[in-house]
Amino acid sequence: MTAADPIPVSVVTGFLGSGKSTILGHLLRQPEFSRTALVINEFGEIGLDHELIESSEDSVIALTTGCLCCKVRTDLAQTLQDLLRRRDEGRCTRFDRIVIETSGLADPAPILQTLMTDADIAGRLVLGGVVTTVDTVVGYGTLEREAISQKQVAVADTIVLTKLDLAGGAPPALLNRLAGLNPGAPTLRAAHGRTRSASLFGTALYDVKSKSLDVNSWLAEARKHIHDHHDTEIKTYTLLRTEPIRAVALTLFLEALAEHCGADLLRLKGIVNIAESPDRPAVIHGVQHVFHAPAWLERWPSNDRRSRMVFITRRIPRRWVKVLLDAVDAEVAGVSAQG
Amino acid sequence: MSGAPTGLLCELLTQSLVAWGVGGSVERAGGAIVLGGMKDIRIEPAREDLMFRWMVIIDGRRRGAISILAVLRQVREALDPGYAASRVHVAVAPLVPS
Repeated sequence: MTAADPIPVSVVTGFLGSGKSTILGHLLRQPEFSRTALVINEFGEIGLDHELIESSEDSVIALTTGCLCCKVRTDLAQTLQDLLRRRDEGRCTRFDRIVIETSGLADPAPILQTLMTDADIAGRLVLGGVVTTVDTVVGYGTLEREAISQKQVAVADTIVLTKLDLAGGAPPALLNRLAGLNPGAPTLRAAHGRTRSASLFGTALYDVKSKSLDVNSWLAEARKHIHDHHDTEIKTYTLLRTEPIRAVALTLFLEALAEHCGADLLRLKGIVNIAESPDRPAVIHGVQHVFHAPAWLERWPSNDRRSRMVFITRRIPRRWVKVLLDAVDAEVAGVSAQG
Repeated sequence: MSGAPTGLLCELLTQSLVAWGVGGSVERAGGAIVLGGMKDIRIEPAREDLMFRWMVIIDGRRRGAISILAVLRQVREALDPGYAASRVHVAVAPLVPS
């Protein structure tokens, strides 16, 4: 890894007591995670989690000032900047990955937004994916009661079912609930805090091994999303489009989504065939009203050149999203034709 | 205004009422679109000599709109008093790869 390579930042979230620290404690003892910096956020006056995770002392930072999602603009950005400075000056392990463990009550969306938009850190860091732990013993009840728990699951790139050694297996009702909230996310299983570490951060946009955007994982996810999956409020669906989309139309479309959906657009990720750039597709990524600047792939990852956008939403009908894109694109086409 | 996609706008408004959880109806009346419900809203293609593409008449007040998205914003502001638009934040980047 060279100094110029972006450092992937993975977010580990999950409701209180769902096993985040246990998973991380095991993970950070694995050789492949030896160059990992860990940022822990605990909600309470005295932080304990960082004491319980065995790792290199100089690459663990505990944020105990409050819930990360509430103070994310300042505390997280400042912490990451400090971490990068210490790395640059050789004052800590030269890590090539950062993992943020959120508090159990944290809304992951503002954390993802900060990683994407903070000018001082966005250039050096890249979002490496979201891992959400779910307790198989009490997880179903938690999902029923706690809206924030649903959101943590909905935005996950990977879900880890924990405490399988206690539960004796994953209850079908829980699996159905998870499939309804986030049908595309791979589900890993953990017993005694152990899971397949190699797969844990393997579904993110950024591929650590190839040091490039890994849209194939998203596309695999999109293929599973052809049909709507219904939950009480949160829905996941994919918008497919054969015809290329004009760059201006895409921009207007994203603006309209942000304007009218706001916090109800939990996540949007996709690969888009831009009319003005037929050979280099755009990769888009948004969380609520914040959209990352499009990343341009060097080439299409397969012969399939359709635009594919995966939406994870709350109370936003698929039909509205489709008609919105159709209408905006038609209007832009009309304006272009008029010269 | 010539070329204005009235059919698509009509469909978009119909779906928007559903998405926003706002009751009402959307109908085409000649070249215009009429929304029935809480307010009297009529949307017409603007004359070609105007800089607008659409005219939005809400309770008798006429306002121009330069795009479908501007129409959508005006209609939602009229029908959804609690609506506060979230402005998009997109990092500065070229529209196409350089």
